[in-house]
Amino acid sequence: MSDKKPCKSPDNEVLSGESRREFLKKSTLLTAIALTPGVAVKAAEGQWDEKLAGVFEKMLLHVEVNGVKHSLMVEPRVTLLDLLREQLDLTGTKKGCDHGQCGACTVHVDGHRVNSCLTLGVMVNDKKITTIEGLAKGDQLHPMQEAFLKHDGFQCGYCTPGQIMSAVACIREGHANSEGEIREYMSGNICRCGAYPNIVNAIQEVKDGGQTV
Amino acid sequence: MKDSAINKEGLSRIDGRLKVTGAARYSAEYTPAGMVYGVLVGSTITKGSIRSIDTKAAEKAPGVLAVISHFNCPKIPGYQIASTEAGKPEPKGTYKLFYNNKILFNGQPIAVVVADTFERALFAATLVKAQYTSQAYQTSLKNNTASAFAAGENGESKRGTVAAWKTAPVKLEQEYVIPSEVHNPMELHSIIAHWDAEDKLTVWDKTQGVKDTQDGIANIFKIPKENIQVNSKFVGGAFGSALQVWPHEVAAIIAARVVKRPVKLMLGRADMFTSVGYRPHTWQKIGIGATEDGKLVGISHEAIGQTSTYEDFNEEPVSVSRSTYACPNVNTNYKLTALDIGSPTWMRGPGEATGAFALESALDELSYALNIDPIELRLKNYAETDPESGKPFSSKYLNEAYKMGADHIGWTDRSPKPASVTKDGWLIGYGMGGGMFGAYRDQATCRAVMIADGTLLLQTAVSDIGPGTGTAMVSIAAEIMDIPAGKIRFEMGDSSLPYAPSQGGSSITATVGSAVNDACKELKEKFSQLAGNTETPDYTKILKDHNLSKLEVTTASKGGDNMNKYAMYSWSVHFVKVCVHPTTGVVKVDKVVCVADSGHIVSPKTARSQIVGGAIGGIGMALMEEVIIDHRYGKLVNNNFADYHIPVNADIPQIEALFINKPDPYINPMGAKGMGEIALIGMAGAVANAVYNATGKRIRQLPITPDKLIGINQSAMVNGS
Amino acid sequence: MKQFQYTRPSTQQMALDAISKPGAKIIAGGTNLVDLMKRGVTAPDKLVDINHLPLKNITPTHTGLHIGSLALNSVVSENELVLQKFPLLSMALKAGASPQLRNMATVGGNMMQRTRCTYFYDTTMPCNKREPGTGCGAMEGFNRMHAIFGTSNQCIAVNPSDMCVGLAALDAVVIIAGRKGERRIPFTEFHRLPEDHPEIDNHLAKDELIIGVEIPDNNFAKNSYYLKVRDRQSYAFALVSVAAALDIDNGVIKKARLAMGGVAHKPWRLFDAEKWLIGKPISEENFKQAAQMAMAGAKGYEYNSFKLNLAPATINEALKHAAGLV
Repeated sequence: MSDKKPCKSPDNEVLSGESRREFLKKSTLLTAIALTPGVAVKAAEGQWDEKLAGVFEKMLLHVEVNGVKHSLMVEPRVTLLDLLREQLDLTGTKKGCDHGQCGACTVHVDGHRVNSCLTLGVMVNDKKITTIEGLAKGDQLHPMQEAFLKHDGFQCGYCTPGQIMSAVACIREGHANSEGEIREYMSGNICRCGAYPNIVNAIQEVKDGGQTV
Repeated sequence: MKDSAINKEGLSRIDGRLKVTGAARYSAEYTPAGMVYGVLVGSTITKGSIRSIDTKAAEKAPGVLAVISHFNCPKIPGYQIASTEAGKPEPKGTYKLFYNNKILFNGQPIAVVVADTFERALFAATLVKAQYTSQAYQTSLKNNTASAFAAGENGESKRGTVAAWKTAPVKLEQEYVIPSEVHNPMELHSIIAHWDAEDKLTVWDKTQGVKDTQDGIANIFKIPKENIQVNSKFVGGAFGSALQVWPHEVAAIIAARVVKRPVKLMLGRADMFTSVGYRPHTWQKIGIGATEDGKLVGISHEAIGQTSTYEDFNEEPVSVSRSTYACPNVNTNYKLTALDIGSPTWMRGPGEATGAFALESALDELSYALNIDPIELRLKNYAETDPESGKPFSSKYLNEAYKMGADHIGWTDRSPKPASVTKDGWLIGYGMGGGMFGAYRDQATCRAVMIADGTLLLQTAVSDIGPGTGTAMVSIAAEIMDIPAGKIRFEMGDSSLPYAPSQGGSSITATVGSAVNDACKELKEKFSQLAGNTETPDYTKILKDHNLSKLEVTTASKGGDNMNKYAMYSWSVHFVKVCVHPTTGVVKVDKVVCVADSGHIVSPKTARSQIVGGAIGGIGMALMEEVIIDHRYGKLVNNNFADYHIPVNADIPQIEALFINKPDPYINPMGAKGMGEIALIGMAGAVANAVYNATGKRIRQLPITPDKLIGINQSAMVNGS
Repeated sequence: MKQFQYTRPSTQQMALDAISKPGAKIIAGGTNLVDLMKRGVTAPDKLVDINHLPLKNITPTHTGLHIGSLALNSVVSENELVLQKFPLLSMALKAGASPQLRNMATVGGNMMQRTRCTYFYDTTMPCNKREPGTGCGAMEGFNRMHAIFGTSNQCIAVNPSDMCVGLAALDAVVIIAGRKGERRIPFTEFHRLPEDHPEIDNHLAKDELIIGVEIPDNNFAKNSYYLKVRDRQSYAFALVSVAAALDIDNGVIKKARLAMGGVAHKPWRLFDAEKWLIGKPISEENFKQAAQMAMAGAKGYEYNSFKLNLAPATINEALKHAAGLV
């Protein structure tokens, strides 16, 4: 668990806003001294300060996604969902509402399903993320992926990655013991095409098959 | 060698693997070099004009490349042409983005902010502040029915004697209301626009038809359509919301031109409620009368639907009353009320779904008034020929569908007396309702190429919004060519491919399927000729023998005279069992059986899913979906998935989807008719009818939420049942 | 969303220091806060991520059960001790949100979640809770989801939590840490009514931190039930919900606990009805009377008057379930 691990140093956990502004003041001063006035004016017009600000408003994030370790500089406001889709090109995780109301963005963080749209990227520091792209083993599909294919657990496919990530978690959590329980524990994933009964059938088959998920 | 699966359970989706692994890329999921992000700013007033827009703060915000509004928007050629025609009033149609200072509805885009990252664009958009001059507005259909006007030339229709129903021995007249509903496909509408050259454009766009989008963009930007490449390989649902070029698409294309970089623009969920259409809020009144033995004497069906001030959206909800049942006297009247709200658009089962809720509810009410079983009543008024045109049907097996559905739901368990059956403290009820939708065959072209290694390549510019078009096409081709489905590659969603129409109106299997059918037959024939009329050609051997790397045909296909000779429809009937809690008003759908009479079923596995999905859409319509506008502000107050409810898994039982599966002899070579619309049409009525059977309370205003049923059956509670 | 600073304090003291700064806000699960930030309802300058504090424990005490404020909703709902001693809490938790959200949301965060009133969320609308003095959009607007008890002329919003209804019924106590030490307040007094300050949801000071809740042992485990009535079967906020807990001896009620959700600015305890039920035999007749008693002072608005009927019906149903009559 992450709370067992002491933070490295309380003070340098993040470069705080105060220190950022301090830096900017200094850097502006330094820039002004070092450069000719004309260049300095251009720098101001070109909003170089803001570009610098951009760099210093970012934080270092260590995260493992589908077994690959990443060290990234991210703004604290970037959600895990946008981080995956826009920065890591892992577009299998979908944006359906961006407000925790549909489940299309479901991924596993340290093995647990969460809505990545309401998770800030900086909050998964040192954690392991699994997305739909990390579920199959090479060419060999995960049993849940196979079951979704067999039972036609989707139509347009947009909610499907979230459904499958949720379905795997549903079994792992021990919440797939009956049709009713599966329906309840799959209710955080909206499917507008209406594949629900097929999704339930797919999950039941994997559960009853006793395969390791 | 055929896949044995094709004729029994049907093929699994040919693109399924891409979808379950996350490898399927939807329109927002491409990254052309240098791509930046566009975010729209919406009007905060409902009607009036923009006085000024302060964009300074946004322009200064980090990463911002441009803020575009009507003040600085480059002239859009298509807009200018349309508006300068001989000083006439502007023709109605989709409003023109960033064209002038007019505000026509709340949330109308007034600016687009472009920045280097999504977060920066999103934040900068919040910094754009507009000053408005506000005008009085009307957003309530109820308060504005007096200003309703005839919907097009066919607003009124008469057959036989007007108001004949009033003379019938048994009659009733009731009003039925549906609220606006929003398509809400799970994929947010998105576009990436990239100008490859001054007059050359590539878009990755969510659309139901790449060719129509190509035409639409060509018309707006006045560039040759050959110069516009539209890609839409995967579409995350649409249900009608992606049948036209919407202003947000124009915004991205303009933004890309201004910043000279590819621009990605993805609507937010809240925008999905205001920017890409909806099923219009509609008031209906039905008068219906019958003889005591249940023969219909007359039907009167009036409807008033809402539309916008800038576009007359006409979907004919009243047509169902003219065509569904044999009835000598039918008069219908359909009007529109223009409100200061964005335009509605086609939504799954457009018109018919709205009309069928009213008609199927009224039939049910009549059945109780007559004390005749609802199925029996429908059979007594079964139309053997099209009541409207008098033409014979190309095929109709609806009577078999009634029987099949009744058997499977256990209709004999239904009590004809409402509120008379309870189980475990819940009231139990059964209901049924039917749907119909025109079966069409449009024109399409397919290129079929047999490659030396035995791979068959099929190409046509259709989109697949979810039903499994590629899978159906491969099923058709595998059957004709007599090769395994695995050897067939189907390419689509690309405007450079041969013509196919937009995916809408339940016509794609009939239309594109015919093109695939015809192309494959032609190709096979070519092989047969080469080989000297072999029964089943060995394609690879023939190619090798003739030293050919491939053999191909491009075949255009369209319907013939049969479409004029026959009335062509698909039919469905839905059966529902519900449990209603007598004191809290909670409704649980316990069992659903849907039977489709839609000709030969080309792709059984995906067809079944399509019916199930439509039924679930109908359950949403019946029980929970409702757009709510606060008329004081002219603004939606439930533009999100927490407040606008669509069914979740827990709402849905197992659903049996059954098919008559008899080919239609006239519509197309496969004998296949559409089923996307009929899957939903009639379902809401079936649920409402089941709720009545359970409770004795007739809900004529959707959705049937607990508050409408609460305490309705105090007696059932008091009696302790 | 505007840019903000983000810190990850590793001790409670550091966290308390950090949150006392102007513009600072605590983030735990983030399920409500990130949403509010995306909508522009709140725009903190600094987020203090407290997830690294050791507040996830669920441990028995001499008199009951202590649940750390960072314990996840999903973990609490499945915890053996919770299931054994306070199944009502588990039921309430499982009735809320979705499995994914419950995997993120914490006990403390759930207590701090803000109303889901549409006028509160839409920054273009008037709302005294979001922006004091702008008026209440809901009062004469679309108020179907709104309060029927304890409203003021400033605000008719409801607290959206299910967990809190369960904890209110179970006489939980909130343990709060401040820079001057700890204090404990009854759960029922943690949230407040809107009165003239609807912008203030509860009695937690800005520089304080919820560190846990304690639930005293009781005899309700066998006869408790959480019933939530909503517009769909799952993943929806309550129209009305009821937490009912009974201590029954030989068919006679020794103690009763009742709380309602979806009806007030705070979890709404039904003290009078509880008292009245003491000594009464379990029967639908008595439950109905108790339910009617609970409705004293209720006031409906244009779109939520159905709650005046739905609330007593739900109380009655919940009591029937708790008593094993269903």
